[in-house]
Amino acid sequence: MSKYVAKRILMSALTLFVIIFVLFVLIRIMPGNPFPVERMSAELILQKRAELGLDKPILIQFADYMSMLLQGSFGNGTSLYNGAPIKPIMFACLENSFKVGVLSILFGTTIGLGLGIVAALNRGKFLDGLCTVVSILGVCIPSYVFMIFLQYFFAYKIPFFPYFFDPSQFLFSSIMPSLSLSLFSISTVARFTRNEMIEVMNSDYVKLAEAKGLYGFELLRRHVLRNALIPIVTVIAPLVVDLVTGAMVIEKIYGINGAGSLMVNAIAGDGVDYNYVLALGIVFSALYIAVMLALDILYGIIDPRIRLATKEG
Amino acid sequence: MKKIFALLMICAFALITGCGGDSSSNNKLSVMLGSNVVSLDSAQCTDSSSFELIADCIDGLMQLDADGKPIPAIAEKFDVSADGKTYTFHLRDAKWSNGDPVTANDFVFAWRRHCQVSTKYAYIMGDTVACVKNADAVTKGGDPTTLGVSAPDEKTFVVELDAPVPFFPALMSFPTFYPINEKFYKGLAEGTYGTSPETFLSNGAFVLSNYLPGTANIQLKKNNDYWNAAQVQLSDWQYQVVTSSDNALTAFKNGTLNVVQISGSQIEHVNKDPELSKNLQTIPSGALSYLSFNQDPKNHHAGALANVNLRLAISNAIDRQSLVSNYVMNGSVATYTAIPIHFAPNAKTGKFFAEDQKQFADVVSFDVEKARGYLDKAKAELGRDNIELEFIYANDAGNTVVKIVQSIKSQVEENLPGVIVKLQPMPKAEYLDKITSNSYDLAVTNWAPDYDDPMTFFTLWTTSGSEICEHWSNAEYDKIIADCTTGELAADYDARWQAMYDAEKILLDNAVIAPLYTGSNAMLIAPNVSGIEFQVTGVNRVFKSATIKQ
Amino acid sequence: MAKTYIPKADDFEFIGSRDLNVDLNFASQGYWKGVAVHFLRNRLAVTGVVIVGVIILFAIFAPILSSYGYQEIVSVNDTGKELVAKSLPPQIADGSAQNLFADKTFLFGTDDMGRDLWTRTWHGARISLIIAFVAIFIDMLIGTSYGLISGYFGGLVDNILQRFIEIAGSIPTLVIISILAIFMEKGIGLVISSLLLTEWIGMSKIARAECLKLKEREYVLASRTLGAGSFHIIFKQILPNTIGPIITQVMFSIPVAIFTEAFLSFVGVGIVLPQCSLGSLIEAGFGNITILPYQILPPITVLAFLMLGFNLIGDGFREALAPKLEDM
Repeated sequence: MSKYVAKRILMSALTLFVIIFVLFVLIRIMPGNPFPVERMSAELILQKRAELGLDKPILIQFADYMSMLLQGSFGNGTSLYNGAPIKPIMFACLENSFKVGVLSILFGTTIGLGLGIVAALNRGKFLDGLCTVVSILGVCIPSYVFMIFLQYFFAYKIPFFPYFFDPSQFLFSSIMPSLSLSLFSISTVARFTRNEMIEVMNSDYVKLAEAKGLYGFELLRRHVLRNALIPIVTVIAPLVVDLVTGAMVIEKIYGINGAGSLMVNAIAGDGVDYNYVLALGIVFSALYIAVMLALDILYGIIDPRIRLATKEG
Repeated sequence: MKKIFALLMICAFALITGCGGDSSSNNKLSVMLGSNVVSLDSAQCTDSSSFELIADCIDGLMQLDADGKPIPAIAEKFDVSADGKTYTFHLRDAKWSNGDPVTANDFVFAWRRHCQVSTKYAYIMGDTVACVKNADAVTKGGDPTTLGVSAPDEKTFVVELDAPVPFFPALMSFPTFYPINEKFYKGLAEGTYGTSPETFLSNGAFVLSNYLPGTANIQLKKNNDYWNAAQVQLSDWQYQVVTSSDNALTAFKNGTLNVVQISGSQIEHVNKDPELSKNLQTIPSGALSYLSFNQDPKNHHAGALANVNLRLAISNAIDRQSLVSNYVMNGSVATYTAIPIHFAPNAKTGKFFAEDQKQFADVVSFDVEKARGYLDKAKAELGRDNIELEFIYANDAGNTVVKIVQSIKSQVEENLPGVIVKLQPMPKAEYLDKITSNSYDLAVTNWAPDYDDPMTFFTLWTTSGSEICEHWSNAEYDKIIADCTTGELAADYDARWQAMYDAEKILLDNAVIAPLYTGSNAMLIAPNVSGIEFQVTGVNRVFKSATIKQ
Repeated sequence: MAKTYIPKADDFEFIGSRDLNVDLNFASQGYWKGVAVHFLRNRLAVTGVVIVGVIILFAIFAPILSSYGYQEIVSVNDTGKELVAKSLPPQIADGSAQNLFADKTFLFGTDDMGRDLWTRTWHGARISLIIAFVAIFIDMLIGTSYGLISGYFGGLVDNILQRFIEIAGSIPTLVIISILAIFMEKGIGLVISSLLLTEWIGMSKIARAECLKLKEREYVLASRTLGAGSFHIIFKQILPNTIGPIITQVMFSIPVAIFTEAFLSFVGVGIVLPQCSLGSLIEAGFGNITILPYQILPPITVLAFLMLGFNLIGDGFREALAPKLEDM
């Protein structure tokens, strides 16, 4: 297993390198300049591009970038749009998104699993139908609409929560945004849990376990949940990445200084800020790859029948 | 658990009693900011939010009073040489917030640095605006020490100009001309200036107490070392970045924000509510929204718009009144001149430059018959019956632009048979790229004046200014503008004023642009807030003498 | 004396001409016929078909039958000034003269450009239905086969395919679509192309996870021992058994695709106004949600019903395709 993990980590590093290269090239093909060009003449734009070294061949630019990256700096370390240093700003935003995201994952998995289990145990009855409706609404109502709804009723009509995000009471003011962000994961997790559990509960080994006299929670824990978890974990994993990397619209509504709006702004704002897009892209992909790696290892732990490593020899 | 219980109790209580939001106003002034602050470095920023925040914290040589007239700030007084080309500013004893005195050298350093950094506002030092000696050369990479600024002593700052500039003192209130403490700046790591309260120095009314680039919440407090601290009433207050007008309105009703800007549907809603509408104020912004026609005959659409009759046809087919009253709705005024209304009053008569909106009615109006007449001529000249035009706009520019372009499309297609307008939304960066790289036909442009003179608009359409956007060139027009900025008319106020009308006539006879409307901002201001000064140029809102009653 | 029986020709018949397998007690039926019978017996599934069918019918015919075009701005000329019927609440023509538009019917009201929301909602439903079917197609065809192949073969193939997913999944959709937009006209085609490039990733993960679970099962081993080819095993043996999670995932990728489109339109790389979709109508209504809530209600309601319909159909299919769950 450890040999397999070591191999996977090596592969992941290689993948990350390819991602950086692809993103590096793609971002330079995108229409738009990295700096403010409003009312700048073509001549001045060329002069600025030359100053930033954007006129060099792309492979040389990439080599320069990688050598700086290996020294721990994202490009020249500053935004090409306003010259501000990347790291402190990016990590401050990532921290906020991360905290809100983790909270929303907690909401999403606990509420989602709960709903799913309740629905599966009451299959075909009223509670099952209710869970189905909740999870359908959860995917149809965009999280930002739900956010506005919460803000309107629980910060405006009933001024219980702060109207805008307040970093001094982090946990308290994170409740509304993370609840609305978790809406989608609640629905997904609930649906998958319900369907998987029904399938597993109909399987022979569960029937055998029942025949042997196992019932209730013990049966759920030892036989049903464990087998139902695989697809559920598969759905949750990418959601985790989505959630911690932020959500632009909710951040804007609630005034959270988060990574989602930072990324969208860097790509589709007034300029395509190459350094920011790459820095955020690298962090996000690293996160994504790490989650995928963890997922593959988790498969083995949850379901001993899966042996990814066997074929590797 | 207790908190959840409390929440449930409150919900239940509120639902039973049916009470709405607690409208007790906030004691702390909270002001809405419509977009993020790009940078606190006066050489890097290009947006009004940044200008506003910088001006809260830093004073320039001059400032504008409530009527937009320049009055002294850091400069106690100034002398102008007889030819109007040399300004000598005498600085007062002001302090930076770290205790250093504000010296003439801080200005020299900031101005030179600004020319070297050369962003969008590099042009403002140059020969079309401030005419600072050698500014254009330094911007293009010349030796910064050749810039026409000097500091003979600590408290004297001398500027040499290439030509007399009638509005030069007022220009000094523009953030580009603000000082930066050289010693402090050089003590910081590269690029970190103005990225936190610790890396930013104030010499103005307020200091930052909480700030991070891109943050949604900015806290300020009074600067007790400010030279005019007696005038400043607010002790601590904050900005909140809110991008949705709907959200802003609710926050205002809630008392979370005291000063917000709203648009379109929200204004209609406010007007229906007599209590709320008392707080509504319409403030002219002096910004002109206009249609840019790409007139380059080599343009990728074979340059149909190089034909003047087609441009005139489109300009006369747009019902500006309908645009303003149905879609913009924030008090903006339909405009039929190339220079917006509410802006650039004549120093002698006090009348706005564009006061007479009928002046060019023969070429800019809403007249479908006339428009079709122009269109027939254009079709004959171009030799084709169907003209397809690509209309680009930046989608993130806000709800208003999206409505305007759809309405223009609908009006033009209805009034001009055979003309097809294809809307092309795109992110702002791509939009700017298309404009500068000459691949569009029509674009909506919104230009706010940088200084209180019509020239801030006229220089957009000289051959060198127009090659960025409209690709139109006219030697006669260029000559008038050159005469008025650096040439023989620069010193003669009345002749210059008259010449500018001639330039405007050339512009509109050729339909280089189609003016749409002069902008306006609809603000909701809580009744206990007063003393905010609004300006049409440069820094749009000034909070130095704002107060909030407890 | 015993007479030896001499067999005659008609004592025997060719066995090949008679079907010995006919079970007269439980008549056999084709696989798909069985699925159809199961499906139609499921009342909820039929309800789903009806809901989706009605929405499709409305999407096709409502804009045609409506008295307004989806991009038509309704206005009247009031003493020389153009008045636009913008932001009107739902109303039915009453013939009275209380306001200037009282003689017109707007079942869902009008948007803030003065266009009939009834027409726009159903026109938007058209676009969103197209996107929904594209999403289903992408998931079923690309995502599923990619995941199954990756999971089944494992080893090097899996490694390469998974690394490719990591790369493809790491490039932001906005970057991909901005680059595609250089070569393509903006509009629904561009949105579909970018969905094609990114939206199958989630599904392929589910399919792979299922495949990993199933490929060690006895029936797969049996098939392999009997000499079945890999692709036969993947698509004939494993695929039918993964149908549950796959259908569940499809149901989730539909709204995700619809909202991805809305987000892209919002940023300026999606469909082009005055064209609309359910997603972009929700986005537009969102701008006025607290003061004009009726603008966002029709698109959200139609979307919710559409999703409900799809989910019911999906559940029906799952149960019909994998009857082991049901009354077997």
